[in-house]
Amino acid sequence: MEQLKYQLKNIRRDKLCILTFLLPVIVGIIIRFLPAMNFLGLSETSFGCVQNDLSKETISWLQSIGNLTEYETIETLKEGVNNPSTQMIGVLRRKNGIRTILSGDEFELYETIGKTLPQLYDMRADQPAFSKTISPVSEKSDKLKFLFIAMTLVTAMFMGCTFNSMNMISEKEEGTAFVNQILPMSMRSYLLQKLALGFLGGIVSAMVTAFLCIQTAAWQTSPLFLLVILSAYIASLVGLFIGHFSSGLMTGMVCIKIIMILFLAPPIIFYLTVSTDSAVYPLSYLFPSSAAFYGLMELLAGQMENLGLYLVILSIHAVLLTCLYFFIVAGKGSNRR
Amino acid sequence: MWKGFSHLLKKDVKMMLSGKFFLLALLSLILYSCYINFIYVNVDQENCRVYLYDPNNLCSAQSKYINRAHSRQELKTACSDRFSIGIDFSADPPEIYMLSSGAEKTDRYRAMWGEAVLTELTEEKPEIVGSYVKEERSRREITAEFLFFELSAVGFLGLASVLFKEKQMGVIRVHGILPVSKAAFILSKLCVFLWSDLIFTCLLTWINVGISDSLTILPAVLTQAGILSLIMSLTGFLCAVLLSDFKQFSLFYLILAVFASTPVFLAGQTGVSWKWLAWHPMHHLFTAMKSAYFGKTAASFPYYLVCIAAIAILFYGACHILAREAAKEG
Repeated sequence: MEQLKYQLKNIRRDKLCILTFLLPVIVGIIIRFLPAMNFLGLSETSFGCVQNDLSKETISWLQSIGNLTEYETIETLKEGVNNPSTQMIGVLRRKNGIRTILSGDEFELYETIGKTLPQLYDMRADQPAFSKTISPVSEKSDKLKFLFIAMTLVTAMFMGCTFNSMNMISEKEEGTAFVNQILPMSMRSYLLQKLALGFLGGIVSAMVTAFLCIQTAAWQTSPLFLLVILSAYIASLVGLFIGHFSSGLMTGMVCIKIIMILFLAPPIIFYLTVSTDSAVYPLSYLFPSSAAFYGLMELLAGQMENLGLYLVILSIHAVLLTCLYFFIVAGKGSNRR
Repeated sequence: MWKGFSHLLKKDVKMMLSGKFFLLALLSLILYSCYINFIYVNVDQENCRVYLYDPNNLCSAQSKYINRAHSRQELKTACSDRFSIGIDFSADPPEIYMLSSGAEKTDRYRAMWGEAVLTELTEEKPEIVGSYVKEERSRREITAEFLFFELSAVGFLGLASVLFKEKQMGVIRVHGILPVSKAAFILSKLCVFLWSDLIFTCLLTWINVGISDSLTILPAVLTQAGILSLIMSLTGFLCAVLLSDFKQFSLFYLILAVFASTPVFLAGQTGVSWKWLAWHPMHHLFTAMKSAYFGKTAASFPYYLVCIAAIAILFYGACHILAREAAKEG
């Protein structure tokens, strides 16, 4: 405990370090007071049409099943359809119906929509032969806001990794690492102290951000806390790995960069584009942040179906990484001593 | 002057070699390529599946989109992904059962699709206006995104780390009395990073877009890569001289990387557009890079003008600040 106090004293002078942990909190405040963002557009099909081409009835039909963007000319419509960032389907009038334009590079789902839309349009007036039961989502969801919150929280947890690795590398560069070797302190307790710093920082930062962004119900608090603890622990452990294996600041920074990509990009890409049933989806669990990210998204949506699974995955990551680290690194350190 | 310049160049390359810069760039290249080739190209959004529970065999529809469920419970479980559609023929009238996806319009479409699948659904051939298939698009898109991230990161960080090392070694102080101009000092660093970035661009594009396809787009891509590399290196140089140590710099960088480039990526990946993005300088650089990968006329004349002006201003600023720093160091 005494030693941890010295470590804290050491970072107290580094204002920018403290700022790093505060940063997600600041973003959390911004998100908290940001008006609800409309993200529904992402999960809705987008259609494009040319001004004054479609009838009013067709327009309102298209608007009832997706988002419709109007373009001035057919050329601009084709450009819009061809934009690689979107999966827009162009809709044009044809005798007694509609026809569609695709760019040819769409996902399977949108390709099928494009191919079958004219027939669905023709069938729109048929009498419904089915009764419909649509169970609503438990809460009204604002997915973009959720995505931002989850990203900010994952970043907050990630800060422990950055902090730890930078702290260790700069100690190496300043020569403190050599001084540490002759101090009467075991490698294990040194590592535990370092681990504790990033871990505590990550937890505090993530919890404050979570408190600001999420209106937590009582039942959500403990799973959220568990998620944060496990992820912050993994992040701070990864930070120790980087700190140990990087010879200089530059190597460390590049490693942090790679880890940052692995932490933030896969969960978002998988979440946005891959269906949960897909065979590729479980691959994303190889990255510990994915489980944390999905867990957060689920909590935000007021569900907890797979939360147990995510917590187990995070625990497995935590245990495996801890074993690996203490066998390889700390073991080697105590042998030398 | 030029003899001095070649020595400076040699020194910078050596510094980068000793900092394992090239090795790390190679590792990044391998990481990105593996991700693109093994994971990203397989990413797809599948069709809505329709699950049919029909114990009395009332429905004769045959379609590749229909899966049979053997009980109501199985139907419910299959629909729990909030995407699949269940049709229960044991009820009268038959019931469409689904969990809301959260988007009302999508739900309406799903219900309509579920009904339509049970009728004879014919697929029309729509007009195709694009020139790429899905895999080509995915490859180009993600390569553009990774390259953008890598260039803004490596140029910015790499130059700064070299400069911080030199600062520690007292190189800036020695430069104050050497007969080498400040501009040459900066230029040699810029040249080394520009070259390494351009080589990285070529390799990343060749590996992930394919050699024959990349030949047509490489000139435009290299132009954008050059602009980005110069701007980011100079920004890195300025920050490295102004901030006191590398730790502070790296944290500042992290903030920049996460919070400045995330909106750009989100907009790039999803097509969401915000008005304020027009004022985000990275957004324009990113759009130009992406257009270059898709073989479109990359950017307008004012864009290049602004880029050149930005590079000139940054270069002037770097010279000025370096001179001030050298004077301060005595």
